[in-house]
Amino acid sequence: MIVANKKPIEEIIDMVKGYRKLLILGCNECVTVCEAGGKKEVAVLASALRMYFMNEGTKIEIDEVTLERQCDHEYLEEIRNSMDQYDAVVSLACGVGVQFMAEKYFGSPIYPGVNTCFMGVTEERGVWSERCQGCGQCILDRTAGICPISRCAKRLLNGPCGGSTKGKCEISKDLDCAWQIIIDRLKELDRLDDYEEIAPIKDWSTERAGGPRKVVREDVRQ
Amino acid sequence: MQLKEKIAAKKFVVLGEFEPPKGADFSSFLKNVNLIRGRVDAFVVPEMANAVLKASSLGGCAFLEREGIGAVLQVCCRDRNRLALQADILSAGALGVKNIMGVTGVDISYGDHPHARTVNDLDILELLDTINKIQGGKDLAGVDLRGTPQFCVGSTVNTGASGGLLEIELENIDKKIDLGVEYLVTNPVFDLRRFQQFVKRMDTERVAVIPTVLLLKSAGMARYIDRNVKGISIPAEMIRDIQKAADKSKECIRIAGETINRLKDIGMAGVLISTVGWEDRLPQILDMAKL
Repeated sequence: MIVANKKPIEEIIDMVKGYRKLLILGCNECVTVCEAGGKKEVAVLASALRMYFMNEGTKIEIDEVTLERQCDHEYLEEIRNSMDQYDAVVSLACGVGVQFMAEKYFGSPIYPGVNTCFMGVTEERGVWSERCQGCGQCILDRTAGICPISRCAKRLLNGPCGGSTKGKCEISKDLDCAWQIIIDRLKELDRLDDYEEIAPIKDWSTERAGGPRKVVREDVRQ
Repeated sequence: MQLKEKIAAKKFVVLGEFEPPKGADFSSFLKNVNLIRGRVDAFVVPEMANAVLKASSLGGCAFLEREGIGAVLQVCCRDRNRLALQADILSAGALGVKNIMGVTGVDISYGDHPHARTVNDLDILELLDTINKIQGGKDLAGVDLRGTPQFCVGSTVNTGASGGLLEIELENIDKKIDLGVEYLVTNPVFDLRRFQQFVKRMDTERVAVIPTVLLLKSAGMARYIDRNVKGISIPAEMIRDIQKAADKSKECIRIAGETINRLKDIGMAGVLISTVGWEDRLPQILDMAKL
């Protein structure tokens, strides 16, 4: 999933002060799972803003809506008829949703309510960590299913650096050395010989070197 | 006279563009530089123009400074992060380089290493701000530097911008000047009428505009640029003149020389002569322009 983190309330207040009618728009997908932008967080943010502006003596009307997703046309269309009544929207979706909203409702101010962080997993409730950088050229077949691009601080493709100590990364004792896990996995899978092979020089053109990316699938395109 | 002083004195500046080699043999680079030693104010050493791998601008500048020839270091956002850029800027200062030019860099996908990872840690305005801070004696982390280099700082301007991009480009020029830029090198100029329309919207009192005069090599090259390079147009009669000429190379040199003189006549601060690989023709272009 895409993992996001809530923006500080002060930052959001700064974005929306001056507007009189606001929509706080949540998303029922990734940001709900990582508890940054689902229905619950929409309600909490809306209440906090109402309270802040009431204390300030500013009259503001805030509506709350949470869509199934903000990265698909069909769900964003659900609010088309009500969009005209809002001065601005704070979207609690990831950056993808915020942008799709901005593209679709071109004349409306759309503000981000979360900081989009990475593609990752829920290690436990309240702890999410990165697993994929979407480099567009998956090498997990060679690295026993563990990604050194997203999980090694130096993105090394040919084994650990000299800083790996007792299975931990040199930049933090709380961070596992990705290559330690890769090697442990290769041992477990009886594939340690794979480690001897020197990885080909990485092609980054499928990452961002080739500019913003697009996937076009003619077989499913309508 | 140094570039900085010449710009301040409003004297016509002549810059030559010299690409470092694709390889470690700098002999022809130095040979060509020596052909026009003393006839140009400084040599701009591009930093992997068009994202094609060459020896670095810093390497080329080091060779030039060793020979006692003034160089312009290009620092490019595309391939280096803020650490590497600052390291190069400091090294350039230590090597005696007195001129610097910040560039964005053509996207990696256009070059000969399209699989490389793009850096773009700093954008062009942040890079110019970085140069400023270094000249103020501190690095980007705010730490004091031991030895502070001073440069004549330049950047680029796209005079071919049109439509909405034109307003953005004009706004960017102001931002660059506010960040201490003293000269702006333009993209190659062939169509002076179009060029002048852009320049008249600039405050040339605040910044020296140095148009690039690119040596054409054939009518085919001219046609290609005219059709495919955004923001550059080449008058049809210019292409026809090359086509009709018995000695096409000579005609291209004549066009370059004439363009330089016309730019001088309309009050430009100087020119950058770019020959992309034909550096040995530079003396003839300078002769033609009587420089």
